[in-house]
Amino acid sequence: MRLKGIIACLTGLVMGGFLAVSANTSASAEDTVKIGLIEPFSGPIAAVGTDALQAMETAAEQINGKGGVLGGRMLEIVALDNAMSAEKTTQQLKKAVDLGLSYIAQGIGSNHALNIIQFIGKHNKRNPDKAMVFLNHSAVTTAFTNELCSFWHFRFDANVDMKVAGLVTQMGRDASIKKVYMLNQNYAYGKSFQAAANMLMKERTPSVEIVGDELIVPFGKVQDFTPFIAKIKASGADTVLTGNWGPDLVRLIKFSAGANLPVQFYTIYGGLTSSVAGYGADAHKVTLKQVNEYHENHDGLAADALAFGNLYLDKYKDTWYSDRYRWLVSMLAAAIDKAGTDDPIAVGKALEGLTFPGPLGEVEMRASDHQIQMPLMVSSLTREYKMPIMYKGNDFKIAFVTDGVISREDTTLPTTCNMQRP
Amino acid sequence: MRGGGPEAFRVSAAGAPGSNLEVFVFSLFNGVLYGMLLFLLASGLTLIFSMMGVLNFAHASFFMLGAYFAYQISEPLGFWPALIFAPILVGLLGAAVERWALRPVHRFGHVAELLFTFGLAFLIEEVVQMVWGKVPVPYDVPGSLNVTAFAWQGLDYSAYRLFMLVISVGIFVALFFGLTRTRIGLIIRASLTHPHMVAALGHDVPRVFMWTFGVGCALAGVAGVIGGNVLGTEPGMAIQLGPIVFVVIVVGGLGSLGGALLASLLIGILDNLAISYDFSLFPIFSFLGVERDAEGIMADLVSITTGSIAPLVPYLLLVLMLILRPRGLFGTRDV
Repeated sequence: MRLKGIIACLTGLVMGGFLAVSANTSASAEDTVKIGLIEPFSGPIAAVGTDALQAMETAAEQINGKGGVLGGRMLEIVALDNAMSAEKTTQQLKKAVDLGLSYIAQGIGSNHALNIIQFIGKHNKRNPDKAMVFLNHSAVTTAFTNELCSFWHFRFDANVDMKVAGLVTQMGRDASIKKVYMLNQNYAYGKSFQAAANMLMKERTPSVEIVGDELIVPFGKVQDFTPFIAKIKASGADTVLTGNWGPDLVRLIKFSAGANLPVQFYTIYGGLTSSVAGYGADAHKVTLKQVNEYHENHDGLAADALAFGNLYLDKYKDTWYSDRYRWLVSMLAAAIDKAGTDDPIAVGKALEGLTFPGPLGEVEMRASDHQIQMPLMVSSLTREYKMPIMYKGNDFKIAFVTDGVISREDTTLPTTCNMQRP
Repeated sequence: MRGGGPEAFRVSAAGAPGSNLEVFVFSLFNGVLYGMLLFLLASGLTLIFSMMGVLNFAHASFFMLGAYFAYQISEPLGFWPALIFAPILVGLLGAAVERWALRPVHRFGHVAELLFTFGLAFLIEEVVQMVWGKVPVPYDVPGSLNVTAFAWQGLDYSAYRLFMLVISVGIFVALFFGLTRTRIGLIIRASLTHPHMVAALGHDVPRVFMWTFGVGCALAGVAGVIGGNVLGTEPGMAIQLGPIVFVVIVVGGLGSLGGALLASLLIGILDNLAISYDFSLFPIFSFLGVERDAEGIMADLVSITTGSIAPLVPYLLLVLMLILRPRGLFGTRDV
């Protein structure tokens, strides 16, 4: 009896809480268009999550400063902490449903993105009148816009294959590259990097020999990179092509610098603030390249992008890095205005084929797979720069200069997506 | 092995200058360099365990603190003051933890102590993130030692790598003689087995424990100071290295300094050999019935090599050791 009483009490409390929450949100939902941002805001990689929030909020402020959407409604970013755990991502999705959010943004961790794609797929089937749209800012697993593609998912970042296409195209322009060693992390992302590189190098750098193709245990498990450095050296490679990130990249670079390994590194994530902070002085001893969409030392950036980057730097003393956050928020706002409503199905349809002036030229949300099509650039870490990389007011005394721009045509790859539309 | 072995065994080091023997010796050398850093970290843990019976889960966190303190001190003062003061600070912090936190918990037995150190590890990580942020800090090798000492197999070895080796060997020798040949060592060892007798002889046993814990933490601090600038100083460094240290002390035998040394070297060398030789494990899986053209999960088994699973080798060693010889190489009691 007593147990039943307690359960009844608890149920009452929980239900009461829910009612309170829903009453609260239905009152304010009319005022703003909310975007739920599910990222780690606590735990070991919370820094990446809070940086993403800061970027999204700044982009939303810009839209709001110009009068918002639909003639005066403001955009609002709702931070939902998943602490980088799968269960908490699901919890936050349920919370987003309770809060009545139609737009979910996420990007850190493709496993969480997949979780969201699957959750929203089921949710929208059961609740077609309360559909949700997933705006993916950085989760790069190519399958999301191929075999796993969904009408409800829009990716605003180049996928792994496109980034590898950028790196390989730039490698093809450098005739001094003869032998390439590939080193990747042994999990879904590292393997898709490996597969894309093997495929694209055959097409775009047919004369370059792959002298090593290795997978390592990921996420900082490898402490000592000396044996890998020895193998790279023994292979005679002049270039290392790697998708590594975090300590798996930082240690590779630090041990290479320590051994004076005479190679250049082509990376996807070599320019992330956390990577550059980790190299320390060793950054000056290696030739390191990254592929991305924006850095402030590039000549010929679109004026809008540069202005936004400067504004961000002034406000936070952080160098603007991932311009795609700005595209995501701006394109969503444009789609809402184009649709004339914040109904997610109408907005999703308006996003299809929508274009936006990116920093290197026009970007387009491809209708067939919801993968943004965009130019990329490969740049090198150097001490000769106009503006240094800044983070939280610290001057890294190093920055990127452009090696080459890869046109949208060169990063556009076919899709296998067979999309089911509502 | 090259040319002679079965086709399935390939030696990736093929094409390396020098003979196969040279690759072997080269791997041994690199293994010793890495193994000695592991030893430096494990020595403090095994010291604390052998003296106090406390399995300190927060040990790698003191290693991390050593690296961060060294970064903070070396920013204005340079590396050498950091090498002296950072371990002292970590040691004092360790002693304080023992005096005011671990000692009251000790009453409730070893499980309570274990849980306490487990919680402490998370606490230290959070504090480190609050103070120094969540991205790595640029803690660098000192310029005076960042010069090439010699080159072998085309790789340059900086003077700093040798310096790390010298420090680790020096600490092993000092610890070994300190514990077995000095009066302090005698009291420490006696406190473990006969605490009441030692107390009756007029020694303050709790204080002996406090300083033992402090010195153990300071040793982890030294490892942090000399390893943090090579491995990278970031909030995840403790979690990444923590489990390996436990492997070292279990394989070596809980509480055995010599065992910890041997296990560290063994793990360092095995790691290097596994990556350098990169044997395919297909023959083993083939024996278990996996086909070469297998698909799905099995396809991964076909392509697996020792190099791709090298960081798991220590854990394999741990499991085998616990099954075959639970007391470890030189241990005197079972885990």
